[in-house]
Formats: sequence, structure tokens, C-alpha cells
Amino acid sequence: MAEKRLKLKKNTKNNTITYALVLAVFLLIEIMQGTGNISSLLSGLLVPLCMYSILAVSLNLTVGILGELSLGHAGFMCIGAYASSIFSVVTQNTITNVWIRFPIAILIGGLFAAVFGILIGIPILRLKGDYLAIVTLAFGEIIKNVLGSIYVGYDSHGVHMTFESASSLDMEPDGTLLINGPLGISGTPNDSNFIVGIVLLAITLIVVLNFINSRAGRAVMSLRDNRIAAESVGINVTKYKLMAFTISAFFAGIAGVLYSHNLSILAATSKNFGYNMSIMILVFVVLGGIGSIRGSMIAACVLTIIPEKLRELQDYRMLIYAIVLIVMMLLTSSPKMVKFWEAHSPKRFIEDKFRSKKSKAKGVQ
Amino acid sequence: MAVLEAENLGITFGGLKAVDNFNIKIEKGELYGLIGPNGAGKTTVFNLLTGVYRPTEGKATLNGKVITGKKTIDINKAGIARTFQNIRLFSQMSVLDNVKVGLHNKYKYGMMTGIFRLPKYFKTEAAMDEEAMELLKVFELDGEADYLASNLPYGKQRKLEIARALATQPKLLLLDEPAAGMNPNETAELMETIRFVRDKFDMTILLIEHDMKLVSGICEKLTVLNFGQVLCQGKTSDVLNNPQVITAYLGE
Repeated sequence: MAEKRLKLKKNTKNNTITYALVLAVFLLIEIMQGTGNISSLLSGLLVPLCMYSILAVSLNLTVGILGELSLGHAGFMCIGAYASSIFSVVTQNTITNVWIRFPIAILIGGLFAAVFGILIGIPILRLKGDYLAIVTLAFGEIIKNVLGSIYVGYDSHGVHMTFESASSLDMEPDGTLLINGPLGISGTPNDSNFIVGIVLLAITLIVVLNFINSRAGRAVMSLRDNRIAAESVGINVTKYKLMAFTISAFFAGIAGVLYSHNLSILAATSKNFGYNMSIMILVFVVLGGIGSIRGSMIAACVLTIIPEKLRELQDYRMLIYAIVLIVMMLLTSSPKMVKFWEAHSPKRFIEDKFRSKKSKAKGVQ
Repeated sequence: MAVLEAENLGITFGGLKAVDNFNIKIEKGELYGLIGPNGAGKTTVFNLLTGVYRPTEGKATLNGKVITGKKTIDINKAGIARTFQNIRLFSQMSVLDNVKVGLHNKYKYGMMTGIFRLPKYFKTEAAMDEEAMELLKVFELDGEADYLASNLPYGKQRKLEIARALATQPKLLLLDEPAAGMNPNETAELMETIRFVRDKFDMTILLIEHDMKLVSGICEKLTVLNFGQVLCQGKTSDVLNNPQVITAYLGE
């Protein structure tokens, strides 16, 4: 019984630290904003920071908990961004209350991404390892390229769609152009702000952490650790793989909503929804620690702020960024450094002190 | 009625008959041994029974119900649990969680119940914890419930694998070389554990083993496989004195 309580406590404690960290950052930023001590650079980064954190946490569910490498995360983000932007543009004049419109937009973005997560997940989750990574990469690129070249508009006759040009949509004069090919969607209301971002991040954390510590989460982790053994104790492989993948896609879609409602023009380019983005999210996850939710969140923030801070160095920026990445990887992951940290961690230090005091006390007796 | 009955079970890989014409009948509560030289097809028989491979001929029944052709998870749900020759634990999960994965199909609640922490979540988790700890206590692993499974010593990993298999509420337990890599003391302890499991859970057990001390010590009946075919079958003492078995497997 004592062991059981200890374990539950340990889990809860770990999660509480994560929530407290988010709350502390939120309060700090609010105080800074209230007193006007925030730089314009940082205040412009607040929404992207929330967005990247959500992306990193959700990808960690696929990579760290399910144990499958996915390189198409930006694709799901792209779907969420486009679906919610179209909704917001269309309903901008009918639903004027932001507090009704934006939550619906967020749900739509998430649900569209989740549906695509299921559709793509069913065939590709039969693959493993590198093969899965390659196919997710391809799907991400396909989504980005299709949405980046499609023209969609609607008029009294219904919805028109083409891949050629805006004029070949053949719309009535009263028609509205929704997606203008490579120019994307313009006029998305700027509904995203820091508070919405941090609330969405908190929701993501609660859902993901609760999922991991539930019956379904254990099933997913058992697949990661040993698929054959998991099958032998009656775990449905396809169901739980798909479940984790879909939740992961859902939150990527929500991050996309946050992204699209932070800009006035949304266009799918290789810079924002391409594989570079997917790999960047993967870097957050790997650097923060595969399977460590809090770590991936911190890594996302650090790796978003560093390149911005290094902007003054111009050409050397990416060089230094790469060096920082390599050094951090070495410091956190190389066996020798891991040993070093274990030997010199503050926890160990306190324990040693405590022990030596105890033994001294025994000696006196 | 026999718990497990296999009739003419066989599988061919390409031109190779890995197992051919395999018959076995195990009664409830029996401790049955499957022995034979390396490569005789013992683990293949386990894989046929648990649905890892689909037999090319013959059929197997569990309590009268046909299980051949079913998927691994359905066979587990029907009541066969197994351990593996090379230990397959969920190494990055805690010892307690390993057993709780085994309880997956006994205690159920939906994904949303887990995410939104509805009252059913707390109730079911508490019941799961209690049953898992009880199982761990049987194998004297309750002190290590919080450890990562990969941090357990070898002998305890073997025990945990058996505990996890038992958590799925099987009618028949298949143990694949449970004593592999154990020293004589650990093997003696394992013999006690296996016998204890049989008595306490009223379990039927089929085990593969090379350690003849363990086999002759606890198995009531034996089947000897050689080149994928049954060489000899019957009571342990009879089988071990059979001249054919001695030449093929035991040595003069």
C-alpha cells in the first residue's frame, strides 16, 4: 500500500510541477505586460511560443509515448489552420462575438486535423520506424502542396474549386474567393492572443498527461516497449496506435488555429508548413527528452527564443544555433555527461548531506 | 473435458515442416512439460497455439472451442497467456504498470473517462491497483512495484512476466523456458513458484524447459519433440526412461 501511494504521489507531483511552471510563466508575463517591462520582441513571440509548445507536447505523444517517428506534424497543423481560417472568414460577419466564434474555430481546426489523422493513420500505422517516418513526411508535404495551390470560392451556385487560377473558378459577380492559391487566405480575424494560447497549452497538457496516466495511455506505452508482448496480453494494436496518433493530430490542428488567427494572411509555404517545420518540432521533442512532456515544452520555448535573440549576429545566427543544439545534446544525452549530472545533481547533494548527518548521528550514539 | 486439445497441428515454412502431426491433450490443473533438442519446434508449437503463426493443418481447441485461425489478442481473451523465451517486459514502464497492462481487459473504462478523470476512473484505477499489488505480493515483487521493469534483476523479471500473464485471467498458462539463465538456487525457487501458481490459481500450465531437474521435479506429463514430430508422450517417469528419448535428447 505504501508503495502504491508513493507511486501515485510521484506521478501527481511530476504533473503538478509542469502545471505550476506554465502558471508561473503566465503570471510572470502578465506582470511584465502590466508594468510595461516587456520588449516588443518578446511580446510578438508570446503566441508562437504557446503554439510551438502545443506542437512539441502533441508530437511527443506520437514520438515519446507511442514510439513512432512522425515527420508530418506540420501537415496536421496546416489542416487545422486552413479549416479554422475558412470558418472564421465566412462567419466573421454573422457571428460577431469573438468568444463564440473563436472557440468554434478552434474545435473545427482540431477536429479536421483529427479526422485527417485517422484517415492517414489507418494505412500508415501498419508501417514501422523509418518507413513510417518517410510516409508521414510525404503526407505532410502533400497536404501543404495541395492547400498551397488550390483555389476555392463560393457564390450563389455553391462552392467552386480548381487548381488553375482564380479566374477559372467561373464564379458569379457576388462570389467570394476563400483560398487564393499560393496567396492563401486573407482577412482571418486576429483572434489569437497570449491568454488564449496559454489556456490552449494548459488544455493540451491536461489532456495529454491524463491520457498517459490512464488505461489507454498504458496500452499505448506497452506497444512502444514491446508490441509482441502487448498483443499477447490482449492489447489491440491498431486501436491504440490510432488513438494516440489522432489525439496528437488534434492538438497539432489546434496549434494551427492559433497560428492562422495570429496572422492576417495565411499561405501554405514550405517555411511554415513544410518538412522544415516538422523537423523543427521533432528537434524540440528530441532535445527536451523523448517522452518528457515538460522537457519538450521547455525546449520549444528555448529554441524559439534563441534564434530571435541571435538576430543581431545575422549570418552567424544559424551557425550558432546549430552549435547550441549540438552542445545541448551532448550535455544532456552523452553517457559521460549523464553520469556527471547524476553524481552532481542537487537532489543527490541533499541526499548525501542527509546521509552523512545520519551516519554521524549514529556514530555519536 | 481437456483444457487444451491439439489435433494433427502442423506448419510448413516453405518446404520445411517445422511442426508436423502434433497432438496433445492437457487436463485441467495439469503441469505439462514440452521438451526436446534445440530446433525441435517447441517454441513454434507455442506460437501456433497463441496465434503468432497460423497452422497450415490441424486444429486446437481450448475448453472445446476452436482457437486455430484466431488472432493473438483474441486467443488471449479466450484464455491463453504466455511468457517468452527472451524476456519481453514493458521495460520503460513501472513493475506495477506492467501488471496493470495485463489487467487491461478485465477492468475497463473509456478513453474520455481517463482524460476527463470522471469518478469511474478513480474507482477502476483503485481496483486495478489493488489487484495488481495482490498479484505482485504473490511473487514477492510488491516491494519493487515502483521500479522500472528493466531495473529488476533477471530472476524477478521472469517472475514479473508470469505475473503479467496471470493478470490476463488465463485458463492455460504457457511458459517458454522459465528457468533459462537461472542459477540452481533461482531454479529451485522458480519450481516452487510454478507449483504454487498452479495450486493457488487452479491453473493449467504447459511449459518448455531444458533443465531436466525442473522438468522431472514438477511436470506430471511430458511430450518430447524431435525434428518437429512427437517422439514420445506420457507420464514423466515413463518418458524419461524411454530409450528413444535417451538417445535423441538426454544422452546415455
